[in-house]
Amino acid sequence: MSDKKNVLKIKNLVKSFGDVKALDNINLEINEGEWVAIMGPSGSGKTTLINILSLMDDISEGEFTLAGDDASSLSEEEKVVFRREKIGLIFQQFHLIPYLSAVENVMLAQYYHSVTDEEEAKKVLTKVGLGHRLEHLPSQLSGGEQQRVCIARALINEPEVLLADEPTGNLDEENEKIVLSIFKDLHKEGKTIILITHNPELGKHADKVLMLKHGKVDKG
Amino acid sequence: MFFRILKQSFFQGKKQKFLAILTILLSSSLITALLNTSIDIGDKMTAELKAYGANINVIPKSETLSLEIGGVDYNPLKGQIYLKEKDLFKVKDIFWRNNIVGFSPFLKKDVMFDNNSNQKVTIVGTYFDKNSPIPDEKDYRTGVIRLNSYWNVEGKWPKDDSNNALVGINLAQKLGIKIGDTIKLKHNNTKAQFKVSGILNSGEDKDDQIIASLGPVQKLLNLEGKLNLITVSALSVPEDDLSRKSRRNPDALDSLEYDSWYCTAYVSSIAYQIEENVPNAAVKPIWQVAAGEGAIIKKIQLLMMVVTIAALFASAMGISSLMSTTIMKRSKEIGLIKALGASSNEVYLLFLSEAIIIGIVGGLLGYVLGCFLSQLISYSIFSSFVSIKLVVLPVILSISVFISLLGSIIPSRMITKLLPIEVLYGRK
Ligand SMILES: Nc1ncnc2c1ncn2[C@@H]1O[C@H](COP(=O)(O)OP(=O)(O)O)[C@@H](O)[C@H]1O
Ligand SMILES: [Mg+2]
Repeated sequence: MSDKKNVLKIKNLVKSFGDVKALDNINLEINEGEWVAIMGPSGSGKTTLINILSLMDDISEGEFTLAGDDASSLSEEEKVVFRREKIGLIFQQFHLIPYLSAVENVMLAQYYHSVTDEEEAKKVLTKVGLGHRLEHLPSQLSGGEQQRVCIARALINEPEVLLADEPTGNLDEENEKIVLSIFKDLHKEGKTIILITHNPELGKHADKVLMLKHGKVDKG
Repeated sequence: MFFRILKQSFFQGKKQKFLAILTILLSSSLITALLNTSIDIGDKMTAELKAYGANINVIPKSETLSLEIGGVDYNPLKGQIYLKEKDLFKVKDIFWRNNIVGFSPFLKKDVMFDNNSNQKVTIVGTYFDKNSPIPDEKDYRTGVIRLNSYWNVEGKWPKDDSNNALVGINLAQKLGIKIGDTIKLKHNNTKAQFKVSGILNSGEDKDDQIIASLGPVQKLLNLEGKLNLITVSALSVPEDDLSRKSRRNPDALDSLEYDSWYCTAYVSSIAYQIEENVPNAAVKPIWQVAAGEGAIIKKIQLLMMVVTIAALFASAMGISSLMSTTIMKRSKEIGLIKALGASSNEVYLLFLSEAIIIGIVGGLLGYVLGCFLSQLISYSIFSSFVSIKLVVLPVILSISVFISLLGSIIPSRMITKLLPIEVLYGRK
């Protein structure tokens, strides 16, 4: 292994919903600055895994350590704080607040993190190519633009880890390319990226690929 | 930023917001109306009850000397001592002068019919509606027409200082006296004639008597300028512990209590001041009236309180269900900001702030509507307007905000239970 800092580690992880084992015996270790792609068909457990990694869901069995700490020992409040401080979340469905403008959506993340800084929010939006769309409402933006607002929101607090659930799933090829190049840049900057994707093209850029099938690691 | 979010988010779910504000508006206007009227109701009710008679009697002092032996009144001065008509104005020349609604002088005595029947009859002289100058109001008028509005007269009220008279209904029936008849009376060697202008139905002892203008009666009795009773109608505040204490034993009050008693418009303190001011007078509050008023007003105020509390809870429940709908509709948003790192408390803050705004807006509008409503109520019940009290405004605003918060607290619990994954991925 490299001398890089370990960001998270899961060992023999099982997540079941009733009788259904959504994740079965997963092992994964991610170090600082790595780009990990999680791939697999629909229903294979990708979103379930990312929910666990983002501390929004609990594990059923196994171990999950975050920066050396046992995740299951964290209180709800500590989980909220951890998520706020360390993680940037990017959703397939964007999840922007419809009545707030692009810049306000980004500032919302600042607000719940620490303090708001409109200039900073505008800078990040400009970085993802939305300098001309700052005051638009989500409904006035295209899917690709909304996804980029969502990325900007994830980046605004300079998280250590970016978690993205099919960020290009709803985008056309052109927007997909734009988003991909943003991720490439972020990787260059040394961000840890965990990316769920269907797209083998996106998977190619990853340092590590985790293939899931029916909740198990697909080695084939 | 918080206010930026709040400002934008407040205009979400306009229908729920509108309904919530409407709910608050309705209850706060009701409460405003009740408060406005109930503050005034004491005075208004008292004024209303005054129409049913005087509440203070002024009699000559010596009459109160009791010399009863074996049930027989041996007070030698009884019926011999009089008040003076020229002191009449002094009744309304006291600290509480503005609370004196009116007064009527009376001079009452038994006289004989001047027809050899040797039949006795009681004649009463009074003011019907006579100018009785008082220090700051030279054209002040008072008398039984104003004060005893429950007196029912068939025919016409006599004019003051005329020889017209009213005959009590019982007396008229007994003796077959009709309107237009002339009654001849004598007292010692003085004679007088009265023309019957109306028949009086008062429900009191006056129904057996003849009621005429004071001047001619004084002349008949040879008692010019004299009176043996003044009835006074005074606006008073309901009795309370202090006034009851003073009633039991005025000397038991310490100086502080005395001052506060003296400067409060209790029937007893008004009576006390009249007694101080009118020479040779003994003043007695008519307690039944005074006590009854207090009790009625208390009951009405209690009723209003119950209605207010009911309105409060009903609207809090309305708010509660509207808030639930809002939270449900905006669950995705709540899940999202929780995913972004907001704690449940921070989400509460947003929704409770909205509730406060709803409370303030609804309360303000409700206050305005309520003021109109209270005028309407007051006018239809008392035929007069209430004064609009600004003190009610902060009270209403606090109540409205309280209702809105109360209604929001229970649904806010749902916020804690909302997990980001459940709402963001549409799973349960
Ligand atoms: N909250 C849940 N309750 C029950 N079953 C769930 C829940 N979340 C996920 N699952 C199931 O777990 C499996 C994996 O789902 P998911 O992680 O969403 O797959 P993917 O994101 O790879 O499409 C599916 O069979 C799904 O039905
Ligand atoms: Mg998925």
